[in-house]
Amino acid sequence: MSITTATARAAAVLTVVAAIGLLPWLSGRDAALSVLRARSAEQEPTEEALAAIREDLGLGAGPLSLLARWAGGLLRGDLGHSWVSGAEVLPSVLAGLGVSLGLMAASLVVALLVAVALCVPTVLRGVRGVHGGSRRRGSRGGTREGGGAVAGMLASVPEFLLATLLLVVLGVWAGLLPTSGWQGPSSVVLPALAMGVPAGGLLGRLVADALPAVFAERWVGLWRASGVSAPRVAGAALRRSLPALLPQFGLVAVAVTGGAVAVETVFAVPGIGRTALGAAKAQDLPLLQGAVLALLLVGLTAGALAHLARLRLLGPGLRDAALALPAPPRAPAGGARWLLPAALGTVLLVVVGWGLTRDPLTVDVATRLAAPSWAHPLGTDALGRDVLARLGHGAAATVGIALAVCLFSYLFALVIGFLPEVSAGVADVANALPPVIVGVLVAAALGPGAAGASVAVALVSWPPLAAHAAALVQETRAAGFLTAQKAIGSTRRWVLTRHVLPSVAGPVARHAVLRLPGVALALASLGFLGLGAQPPAPEWGLLLDESRAYVERAPWAALAPAAALALLAGFAVSLSTLTPGAGRARTGVGA
Amino acid sequence: MTPLLDVRDLTVRYPGRNRRSAPVRAVDGVSFEVSAGETLALVGASGSGKSSTAAAVLLLRRPDGGEVWFDGRELTALDEAALRAVRPAVQPVFQDPYGSLSPRLRIRDALAEPLRVQKRWDPVAGPARVAELLDTVGLDQRLADRRPHELSGGQCQRVGIARALASEPRLLVLDEPVSALDPSVRAGVLNLLVGLQERLGLAYLFICHDMAVVRHFAHRVAVLSSGRIARTTTARALYPTGTARPKTAVDTRKAAAT
Repeated sequence: MSITTATARAAAVLTVVAAIGLLPWLSGRDAALSVLRARSAEQEPTEEALAAIREDLGLGAGPLSLLARWAGGLLRGDLGHSWVSGAEVLPSVLAGLGVSLGLMAASLVVALLVAVALCVPTVLRGVRGVHGGSRRRGSRGGTREGGGAVAGMLASVPEFLLATLLLVVLGVWAGLLPTSGWQGPSSVVLPALAMGVPAGGLLGRLVADALPAVFAERWVGLWRASGVSAPRVAGAALRRSLPALLPQFGLVAVAVTGGAVAVETVFAVPGIGRTALGAAKAQDLPLLQGAVLALLLVGLTAGALAHLARLRLLGPGLRDAALALPAPPRAPAGGARWLLPAALGTVLLVVVGWGLTRDPLTVDVATRLAAPSWAHPLGTDALGRDVLARLGHGAAATVGIALAVCLFSYLFALVIGFLPEVSAGVADVANALPPVIVGVLVAAALGPGAAGASVAVALVSWPPLAAHAAALVQETRAAGFLTAQKAIGSTRRWVLTRHVLPSVAGPVARHAVLRLPGVALALASLGFLGLGAQPPAPEWGLLLDESRAYVERAPWAALAPAAALALLAGFAVSLSTLTPGAGRARTGVGA
Repeated sequence: MTPLLDVRDLTVRYPGRNRRSAPVRAVDGVSFEVSAGETLALVGASGSGKSSTAAAVLLLRRPDGGEVWFDGRELTALDEAALRAVRPAVQPVFQDPYGSLSPRLRIRDALAEPLRVQKRWDPVAGPARVAELLDTVGLDQRLADRRPHELSGGQCQRVGIARALASEPRLLVLDEPVSALDPSVRAGVLNLLVGLQERLGLAYLFICHDMAVVRHFAHRVAVLSSGRIARTTTARALYPTGTARPKTAVDTRKAAAT
């Protein structure tokens, strides 16, 4: 890691922390009124009363003194007092953090079990020598592992969707487990599953993708031929693949902190994520600052631990940079790999197209929560609105916003791709921020809404594109034909606009298009949490959230958006396997 | 008569593996001259500094010491802007025929690019010049609409030579121009280079490790060893008739040592 990268990383962390500290100033709205309402419902909002509250909260001060005061308090371990309840922030943050850490530990266990289950087939095939054999024959050494594909599917299911499905199926219908609260071990199971399964899918996918290349290395054949036992070979192969993957495990921890917000909200777990979301909605900025800081700390600590583990595993070998993993085998070329995304995309298009011909906003209380019929193919919601129509119209709006977000990320990635060292450092920090947490912060600053949600998703969706662009820029700049450019007297500007930019713009644009469904999912998850589009807009995440309350009477109203989101997730992951580099989801250059 | 290219005491250093170890002297005080219409071959084992010398003569990499004089001007003393005006007169031809052309550009555009960069492009004369260049290197006009990957290695190397000629050079730095080609194609490209030299009076700095080619092609030979010139001689004097002809790099080093 270069000094520039380290500086950029430190600067980015400081910027995020400063942005958290400046939230009261950034929000720009008069918090005094909402604080007054929250503290006492009777008191008249007179000028004097509001001014007194502003004085009390220190809102009159400029941004710098505000930041200085907040940072000073932070260093003394004082996070201030809640604007709503007046209670000290630190104890409630610590209480929430305790609950959340317990939940995260439980979901880590789930994640490890899922990952192990996903990797078993690959390991078994590896120790039997299947991978080495297929390479020697020189034929299809690169077919994608079954475990990797399943893992990819699991990893792409957003936590809020899985949480809702678990709640409906296991909690409400089967009645097996408690669906809300935090009492006793049984209430841990469902939230831990909702958080652990996608994380386990991501872990399993990383390992299952890396293992075939390791098993194809020569030493595996040599060990097997010299009679080393299968478990020892498997252990050595896992150890060999871990150092390159550990930085990615940090990303899993980050995803878990983001998932905590959604999962704790769905299951009403009094953890730090739910605290953050509640504080953002209530404009209780000191509490929000504390909660987000705690979540950020958890993510960064996990990343740092992964980094330390990597250093320990590699030892002095790290310095020589000679321990990179062999590139994972490519997915087989040909038309077959387009089949799955094409099928999923077609189903989505048909549903959306059909829904677009119908009216999404007409309220008809007489037919509320109706079962599917010819008049309403997917039934109606709690206000008698047609579910199919709302799905169709919601998709149109979401795709528009997602396109705008992708375009922004694309342009930003192109610019920052030309500064690879800066982009590595900033991308690291952007990678450490899950979209949900950025969404919470942006919603607190701008107020919840589609605009805020798109800003939040745009803020975190550029790093993978920037990493791709940076890699292409470096590759193109090193190409032989650019050496010749200098000899014919080309200016830097000519080389940049006629050669480097055209080689980078096309591939990164394709990558940006392939990320569109993923961006749409991130928008939906913000909508689900009430941080995105507001009712009565027919946004998919919002649809799922609204229909959750009626799931016992009208399961179709909840299952229709859930199924649509699952289709979208499948579409996203099947597309992501089509581009090399795009498959490794949120990866920084420095990783 | 002053030589066209005059290299004096050229030094190129690369930083060591880490900050504490001393820098590596790839080229260590090398001096030579090339006159118009003459071919000087630089031979030597791999790692002897041939390609570093070529890059420094082309000023693709600024040398760490020494001077490069071309046509009475000291190139090493010029700044980038002034150098840009002189660069067209010294053109490279690289070893990798595919890697030295942009994969995105059609042959037509690759040949037109030097004219455009050097502000000599003209809607009428430009295409005619491109056609003439293809003719000069013996390529069919129909190849102009292809891209590099649709050509054979020999065709690609001819395009590389045509592209160098587009800048109206007086010196070509040929960095192993035929090493990547099939033996059957080599002779054709070498004959083309010999013909161009006679017709245009070009000077060649020819970097090579194949002694058979050097003997056939060069007027004079400078043998590089560990970044220094071990000896300079005429091509004929290096291998009097009747002695075995060293072919490999190891043999070359032995020849240089004697």
